Amino acid sequence: MTSTSRMKSFIVLGLLPALLLFVIFVMIPIIWSAYYGLFDWKGIGSAKFIGLGNYLEAIQDPIFWLSFKNNMLVVVASVFGQVPIALILALLLLKNHWFHSFIRSSVFMPMVLSSVVVGIIWGYIYHPEIGILNFLLDSLGLGSWKKLWLADPGISMYSLMVPIIWNYIGPYLIIFIAALQNIPGEIDDAAKIDGVQGSRKLFSITLPMIWDTIKVVIVLCISGSLKAFDLIYIMTGGGPAHSTEVLASYMYNNTFSIYRFGYGSAVSTTIIILSLILIAGSQYLMKKDYR
Amino acid sequence: MNKKTTSDSGRPSSSTSGLGLRKLRGGISNVAMLAYALVTLYPLFWLFMSAFKTNDEFFSRPFQFPAHWQWDNFKRAWEVSDMGLAMFNSIVVTIGALVLTLVAGALAAYVLSRFQFRLKLAVMGLFLLGMLIPIHSTLVPLFILMNKVHLLNTYWALILPYVAFELPIAIFIVQAYMNTFPKDIEEAAMIDGTGYWGIFRRIMLPLSLPALSTVAILAFLRYWNEFSFALVFISKPALKTLPLSLSMFSTGYMTDYKLTMAALAISVVPTIIVYLIFQKHIMQGMIAGAVKG
Repeated sequence: MTSTSRMKSFIVLGLLPALLLFVIFVMIPIIWSAYYGLFDWKGIGSAKFIGLGNYLEAIQDPIFWLSFKNNMLVVVASVFGQVPIALILALLLLKNHWFHSFIRSSVFMPMVLSSVVVGIIWGYIYHPEIGILNFLLDSLGLGSWKKLWLADPGISMYSLMVPIIWNYIGPYLIIFIAALQNIPGEIDDAAKIDGVQGSRKLFSITLPMIWDTIKVVIVLCISGSLKAFDLIYIMTGGGPAHSTEVLASYMYNNTFSIYRFGYGSAVSTTIIILSLILIAGSQYLMKKDYR
Repeated sequence: MNKKTTSDSGRPSSSTSGLGLRKLRGGISNVAMLAYALVTLYPLFWLFMSAFKTNDEFFSRPFQFPAHWQWDNFKRAWEVSDMGLAMFNSIVVTIGALVLTLVAGALAAYVLSRFQFRLKLAVMGLFLLGMLIPIHSTLVPLFILMNKVHLLNTYWALILPYVAFELPIAIFIVQAYMNTFPKDIEEAAMIDGTGYWGIFRRIMLPLSLPALSTVAILAFLRYWNEFSFALVFISKPALKTLPLSLSMFSTGYMTDYKLTMAALAISVVPTIIVYLIFQKHIMQGMIAGAVKG
């Protein structure tokens, strides 16, 4: 064998396992779901081609739009909840001594827990009779604030936001700290000489210096919050009365509870398209310069 | 609630104000930080406290330490929830998927980092695209696929998709690390007559150990904690992984709080140990993975 053909065969053999796995279990399913989305199919028996019928049905289903709205709510809550909290914490946790490291580690901790564990714990915290949240309100004399946190359709979606925000702040915090620590010390010195300090320094020096990082974090936050499913599934399963349904749970319930595989596939495809549009859109907006 | 504890100290302590004021402000900020950290850790702390309580204590004295530490809860939770089996399944799936991820990922990373070929950019773009795809949107088609190839209710139904979804991140982390190696190392080996496989096994793999361990730790957490694929692809009780069996157990034993709490506590211990040991790796790796995506 010549050396170039040896190299070629190595390239092919080296990439093959990863490519095969990736194409078979990530790419092909996506194409399949686009295909099955065009059929009325129960999962068994024959499939009936109905063109865009599933998509039309989804567009006319108010629950689909409710799920979409809830998904966007999660995105908005994440961007306006996680990003500011992470940024404020980062500004206060810049030093590398043990106390700051301890707090950073604590904030990051939920990231390594299974969402099943997190979901069950918060389910108990919110529990109407035995939950510690209502117990706490009672013992503080705020009994009138007690609520059916997860069982009241009017507030259940907002109750879910707290654990969602709580769970995923860690990585953004670490990214912000890294960016803040990268600001050269001379800039700090120069600001000191010019007498710039406090909030003025924050808004005219620190924030502009890490603006690019803020943009990256916002994009990450958007794409991350589109993935919210496990926590919601564990805590409410999309209920009560669909009030906490997000697109992924809507798809799950339609497919695996009432076995509408064609419709579920169409919703899956919609989720992929929507998230790609949202990610591309946010990247595009963020690339524009606001300064 | 979270915001309240932090917003009052939102300004970084300035350097020219009086020393006393600065100290005071630093103190306030530290107290606020501590409060935030405690709020963050409290659910976990509460979980461990509750795991030692009786059912009655669980809701009559939710904030106190247990009156008598009920070590028995753990034993009973372990037995009742058949946790040994779930643990075993989780270990099999996690290790199987880890080995496959590391081998396939390192090999692909080596090729992408060291060789020039026509479709290289296309391959890298494909993997990059994979990082953008929300994992849940593939549940339905993957279920159909697994059903067709008769892999539902097998370990492979979890191992193969886990690896497929983890590969892009694994490849990017390892490839970025390999890119920093000087070319001379392999050239010397080539002159000695070592082939590509030899270079990969004897030079690239050992040198990339730090990156590989980051990938392994991240993948461990991901596989150990994964829920939605297990939920959809596994229905046989004998094959349930830990998160799946916990979710079933907590629904079935919803009113036996102490047992649910004890079962959760047992399941959390391995991840917390891994976190405490590998914190730095985990933080950096998760961020590298996230930013690349």
